[in-house]
Amino acid sequence: METVLTTHFANERYRRLDTYRQYGGYEALKKAFAMDPGQIIDEVKKANLRGRGGAGFPAGVKWGFLPKDLSRPRVLVVNADEGEPGTFKDRLIMTRGPHLLIEGIVISCFALRAHACWIYIRGEFIREARIVDEAIAEAYAAGFLGKNILGAGFDLDVTVHRGAGAYICGEETSLINSLEGKRGWPRLKPPFPASVGAFGLPTIVNNVETIADIPWIITNGGETFAALGVEKNGGTRLIGVSGAVNRPGVYELSAGVNLKEIIYHHAGGIKGGKALKAVIPGGSSTPVLRPDEIDVSYDIESMGKIGTMAGSGGVIVIPEGACMVRSLSVLMNFYAHESCGQCTPCREGTGWLKKIVGRIEEGKGREGDVELILDLCDNMMGRTICPLADAAVMPAQSFIWKFREEFDRHIGEQKCPYGNRF
Amino acid sequence: MSVVFSDTGRAEVERLLTRYPDGKAVILPALHLAQKEFGYVSDEAIVYIAGLVGTSPAEIEGIATFYTMYNRKPVGKYHVQICRNISCSLLGAEHLIEHVSKKLGVRPGETTPDGKFTVTKVECLGSCGTAPVMQVNDEYHENLTVESIDRILDQLP
Amino acid sequence: MPTLTINGMNVDVPQGTTILNAAKEVGVEIPHYCYHPKLSIAGNCRMCLVEIEKFPKLQTACSTVVNDGMVVRTDTDKVRKAVTGVLELMLIHHPIDCPICDQAGECGLQNYYMKFGLHRSRYALEEKVHKKKVQDIGGQIVLDAERCILCSRCVRFLTEVTGTRELDFFSRGDHSEISIFPGKPLSNNYTGNLADICPVGALTSKDFRFKCRVWFLKAFDSICTGCSKGCNVDAHHKGDILYRLKPRWNDAVNQAWMCDFGRLTYKAMNEARLLTPFMREEGARKVAAWGSLLPDVAFRLKAAAEKGGPDRVAVIASPQSSNEELFLLRRLATELLGTKNLAFTHRVAGDGFADDFLIRADKNPNSRGAQLLGIPDGEAFDALVSKIAAGGIDALLVFGNVLGPLSEEETAALLSDVPLVVQVGTNEGPVSKAATAVLPSASVAERGGTFTNHAGRVQRFRFGFPPRGKAKNPVEILVALGNRLGAGWTFAGEASVFKAIAGTEPPFSGMSYDSIGMFGQEIKG
Repeated sequence: METVLTTHFANERYRRLDTYRQYGGYEALKKAFAMDPGQIIDEVKKANLRGRGGAGFPAGVKWGFLPKDLSRPRVLVVNADEGEPGTFKDRLIMTRGPHLLIEGIVISCFALRAHACWIYIRGEFIREARIVDEAIAEAYAAGFLGKNILGAGFDLDVTVHRGAGAYICGEETSLINSLEGKRGWPRLKPPFPASVGAFGLPTIVNNVETIADIPWIITNGGETFAALGVEKNGGTRLIGVSGAVNRPGVYELSAGVNLKEIIYHHAGGIKGGKALKAVIPGGSSTPVLRPDEIDVSYDIESMGKIGTMAGSGGVIVIPEGACMVRSLSVLMNFYAHESCGQCTPCREGTGWLKKIVGRIEEGKGREGDVELILDLCDNMMGRTICPLADAAVMPAQSFIWKFREEFDRHIGEQKCPYGNRF
Repeated sequence: MSVVFSDTGRAEVERLLTRYPDGKAVILPALHLAQKEFGYVSDEAIVYIAGLVGTSPAEIEGIATFYTMYNRKPVGKYHVQICRNISCSLLGAEHLIEHVSKKLGVRPGETTPDGKFTVTKVECLGSCGTAPVMQVNDEYHENLTVESIDRILDQLP
Repeated sequence: MPTLTINGMNVDVPQGTTILNAAKEVGVEIPHYCYHPKLSIAGNCRMCLVEIEKFPKLQTACSTVVNDGMVVRTDTDKVRKAVTGVLELMLIHHPIDCPICDQAGECGLQNYYMKFGLHRSRYALEEKVHKKKVQDIGGQIVLDAERCILCSRCVRFLTEVTGTRELDFFSRGDHSEISIFPGKPLSNNYTGNLADICPVGALTSKDFRFKCRVWFLKAFDSICTGCSKGCNVDAHHKGDILYRLKPRWNDAVNQAWMCDFGRLTYKAMNEARLLTPFMREEGARKVAAWGSLLPDVAFRLKAAAEKGGPDRVAVIASPQSSNEELFLLRRLATELLGTKNLAFTHRVAGDGFADDFLIRADKNPNSRGAQLLGIPDGEAFDALVSKIAAGGIDALLVFGNVLGPLSEEETAALLSDVPLVVQVGTNEGPVSKAATAVLPSASVAERGGTFTNHAGRVQRFRFGFPPRGKAKNPVEILVALGNRLGAGWTFAGEASVFKAIAGTEPPFSGMSYDSIGMFGQEIKG
């Protein structure tokens, strides 16, 4: 299968500029400079490149939202906050192929007519930030960044900006606020970042993987990229598989690969020969699937049709014998911990969900608790400034809808049938 | 008692100021720098940074307490941060946290009396493929087992 | 002008109007906490969620601008459940402090609970998150973080209006807490406004704490007398005791704010008042009746003017008096007593602190009025003081309680050798201690009238309650004195005096109480 990103990731030296160039690195940039910015955006549209951060918004369409008038400088912000549980692919790109990201940034900024880019890397990725910084320094030294890149008259500055521990900063407007030196509170939309973004300037925020795909698209053409995937979801994806599988890790596969195949073929099936109990398909915020639901194409449209999402490409595999209530309790703790606190339904709702699910798992659940959770979810979903509340609600609802008996047992028996263990 | 950044630190802040259109963008990097130079983000560090960027200490405190990586109280020489999120939990993180707590004689959130270790439970560290995972100061330790954790902690000077 | 249809009613509004404000035009009240017309839009409390046709999700009315043809409903089950849901979430950690909370009776949570809640709590008491209560955070404010609904109005006020940002949000999630940085309390001159804008009892007034339940208070429109800005205020009282002043909205003067110093000016109307008329006999104060004291004072003033000539009589006016009172006093001095010895006290006395917002160095509400009505100050006052000190004055009529900028000792020294000192004043002070006759007058709460602020805006202050004790409206005192001096005045209250001012004083020409209305009117030229 043709790979777009990971082709040379096994080579530890690929992160260095000299090795990257040996494998054709920065040739796409030369080709891009000979193109018109509008042509580049067209290729990205033809590629059916859907944002790889989790929302899946078509990148070419997003790029088109920038104002036509160039009087205000526009900027690119790369979202390397990678905080969605189950997701660990951007880390791979930054450590094994940082120049893919940088080359993608230069081409994208050329297309967007942006002359400044900040890469927002989550604070915990200290080593990764260092590697990216080294690659940036190499790029400046070799004239791929800075003034008059490759003599094409294009200036671009790129700066790494480290976060400091907040999942919410993966949301684009929260990220922008954090970049500006504020608490990571998401902003009201409209206005959208394309009109008022970082430092008040028209801004495009894209995920690491989305940008890293750009050089290949330029070299091989948008349609070729699209053909690697399926109709409305072009190209390959870096899919992370974690949990109770034999071969956890990142796999670069077609966007239209089968989910069952991801788990049983690529990731080697369930650890210890156990049966599968549940799959959270696209990062912890996506509705859970039962084993009888996973024979499905992993592309964005198909996943949407069965009531879940491909999200950030993080497949979490839950084996037989794991307690679903305990699993949900772990997730509810997460969202309560990460809620920024700005708006009422999320701030108070995530805390309350954590308490209710927690007491059910401890054997102190009360009659009516499940109905209370579902009612609370109704009062949170779609009521907030950003989708973090929705992200907490979707696991809560789907776990209860698909594993209701487990919740009822915990409450009825006033204990965890699995002995408060995973 | 006030604090100031070292010469290198100040130079770094000056350099950073040229990378953003607005000076307040250096607040997050400045807090990281304060943690590096002073060991933790103290009250004095907050007042100092407020002065550097021209805002109130309350605003800086609001930012410092929003993000989990800024320690407003000193932590031990080694901050042992064990992930307790879903993939790590499915692969035994709870058991590892119990083990480390017992081994070091502290509960999560506490520091050993000799000041060597602080143990905390943290959320997803973004390395789920090599779960269970922990971060000790700047370094990730992956594919953890009871044995490997013992080895790692015992070898720390 | 886009048209909005809300709950079936159509309304045309200017471009850029939000649904929340458009709804007000047709009497639809959309519940909200974080929105405040003088602060940036936050959209974070989520109480103002409404249903908009063609939008899949409910939207916040405070932040959504009306587009032509928009159809909005606030009266559907979906909206009602959403509002109740948000309210329930706001209340789960809220402490059951109502019995001891000053906000009771004017509390946003109480009000909306009665309208949109009325639900039983589904949250256990022992699970409530607790935060720091009863903190003195400086200025005029007490903070109770547990009562806070995190609407962010206070942080926005301190960022956008005072620029001092002493408060901010600390931590995140449901442990978020408003606080000051330790050791850095509120230190601006506008802290009292925080208690006004806080919808709940999280930020409350130290001064007002536990003093009175708000449902016992009545309100009347007044003007702050703290400086020449003339901030519009609501004065709250129970009987003849004032409890607090709150800013009254006037975009031309003080928007929605007032300063901390001004807020406490009500105390002088409650404390150390002159309430009994008296005449000094052999050095001791002897209570007198108005019926005998007024003719006595008039007689003595007239006698002094006749015996030594008008030049031996002097009148000191006060920039705390109303336009109506100053007009009558000027006429009494110049027409009836025939004296040129007329001046008003210095405008700037004391620290003379001023800022570029509301606080002005002139700590008097009506210096401009006095000047426009032809009463001089400055050098003229200084000259008059020298004349008095040199023994050139036999009879002195003083309005007000102090002779700014003279100190207590200087005032005592100055007045001690003047044979007749008649005071018309409200409070005990250096003048009342030295006065021969004291005619107690009504405070700004106990009478009506107008002040002219520094910018020439004439504003009405309204009658609140009858004067305390035996104090009298100074307009009445002046008309009585004037008529005893042969004026033949037929004025019956301040309205009729203002009509005369409008008729004869060019800066005020054409004005009336009607034209001044609620927001004041600027003088001509």
